[in-house]
Amino acid sequence: MSQLTQALEIGKFVVTGEIGPPKGVVLDKCLHDAEMLRDYVTAINVTDLQSAVMRIGSLAVSARLVERGLEPVYQLTCRDRNRLALQSELLSAWALGIENVLCLTGDHPALGDHIEAKPVYDLDSVQLLKAASSLNQGYDMAGHELESVPSFFLGAVVTPGAEPLEPQVIKMKKKIEAGARFFQTQAVYEPEKFERFMSQVQGFKVPVIAGIVILKSVAMAKFMNSNVAGISVPEAIILEMEETKKDDRKKKAVEIVARIIRQVKPFCQGVHIMPLGWDDLIPEIINQAELGLQVRTRRAEE
Amino acid sequence: MHATIQKPIDEISKYLRSGEGVFVIGCDNCAAKCHSGGIPETREMAERLKGSGVNIIGWCVPQPPGVSLCKLANTKRVLQEEYGEQVKAADSFLVLACGQGFHTVMDATDGGVVHPGCDTIFGGETVTDNFITEYCSLCGECIVEYTGGLCPVTLCAKSLLNGPCGGAKNGKCEVDRNRDCGWQLIYERLRMLGRLDEMDKYVMPKNNSRWSRPRSLTIGEGEATFRSLSGERRVASHT
Repeated sequence: MSQLTQALEIGKFVVTGEIGPPKGVVLDKCLHDAEMLRDYVTAINVTDLQSAVMRIGSLAVSARLVERGLEPVYQLTCRDRNRLALQSELLSAWALGIENVLCLTGDHPALGDHIEAKPVYDLDSVQLLKAASSLNQGYDMAGHELESVPSFFLGAVVTPGAEPLEPQVIKMKKKIEAGARFFQTQAVYEPEKFERFMSQVQGFKVPVIAGIVILKSVAMAKFMNSNVAGISVPEAIILEMEETKKDDRKKKAVEIVARIIRQVKPFCQGVHIMPLGWDDLIPEIINQAELGLQVRTRRAEE
Repeated sequence: MHATIQKPIDEISKYLRSGEGVFVIGCDNCAAKCHSGGIPETREMAERLKGSGVNIIGWCVPQPPGVSLCKLANTKRVLQEEYGEQVKAADSFLVLACGQGFHTVMDATDGGVVHPGCDTIFGGETVTDNFITEYCSLCGECIVEYTGGLCPVTLCAKSLLNGPCGGAKNGKCEVDRNRDCGWQLIYERLRMLGRLDEMDKYVMPKNNSRWSRPRSLTIGEGEATFRSLSGERRVASHT
């Protein structure tokens, strides 16, 4: 059983982190980023061709984390693989020691760097969860019995700031029925809105890990406001950043994120911190948000 | 309606070999409505090619008015009887119509050399004389009963069957912020119809073997048979 499963089962407030695989074959930088998170997170998400940009796969990087005694949340999208490939990748993941899987639709190729690629989407995220649940029960999607059976801890995503919210909640329910046992969310900047979302989904009784993206600049906040679905950074935060001296930007970023975490903590079961390269801020964020050290992830030598 | 758009004339010119005798053929139904291969466009294409030095043998848009080029019997009669001499003299045929009409000319000329003059872009609804848009992807397995009559395979950029992804902003799709999110449209319509409970139902993955190509339909005495990789599907039909 993965540490993420255990932590959520005993009701511990979890912290997860995230790394992005590089466009190349040398993993030093992203494994270093993961190493920085070791003492502060229960598990580390590994993105799957994030933003539909071609790069090394989440499977290889997740496997390297396992090798180092770090626990990955292997992200798997429906964009690039049909149902044969998706199921096969899941079996491969289990064989490589990967237990946590986050099932996503995936950004459309039109958003990435290979815009002429064929979008696959043979399955959607609900169907992928169902297929993965079926593998957990020993059968593939065609109903054929597996010779040996995995036991994935399956997760999914939801956008608490979506407008309208209702279709997201309907789909969230379908994801749970299809086997999702935890949720990680799109970045949260409006704790009140998040609280309203949580009150709507409380009855679902599935742990929700709130997404936290470190705000690196005013430009980034404004870009997300006009381009990224379900994210709206309040004017007050933008103003706060504008009034900050350049040298204090990182300090301010920590302060804002830590404050949001303290505000959302009473309503959710954990936070998923996406540092976007500012990994060195994680210890101070954890400290200011009063989260303490996480279940220390296994070290390879143990 | 099979929507088509003409290929650039420079590209078409590259298909034609030096001295090749070309007969240009349009379609009086869909291509005429798309202004890609009706009578004026077919005449103009023949004249422009002739003006640039191509050996144009002649041109035609098979009649009666409004008939589709993809009706093989009619196209064959017109080409072999009304234009028999020009068809015989031609080395090749340039077709200003959809891919089905294109192949119909190949059949009607007993395997003649045929050049595509149009790109076939989609099957759509003729909303007005000036606007055609796509509502169906011809997938072979209609699920619109559960989606308020709006097809997510076609209207959602990712063809998702169980609800929206997280990419829509202000009701617009992540691939193009000027384009409506298909699931937003479905959600609003189901809500308006008081049938939002349809969205709660799990929709199975598509049976892609029904979307396998090439597919065929045989209309026989009292029955119709659809053939695809999913097998033969026979249904009774009115005689």
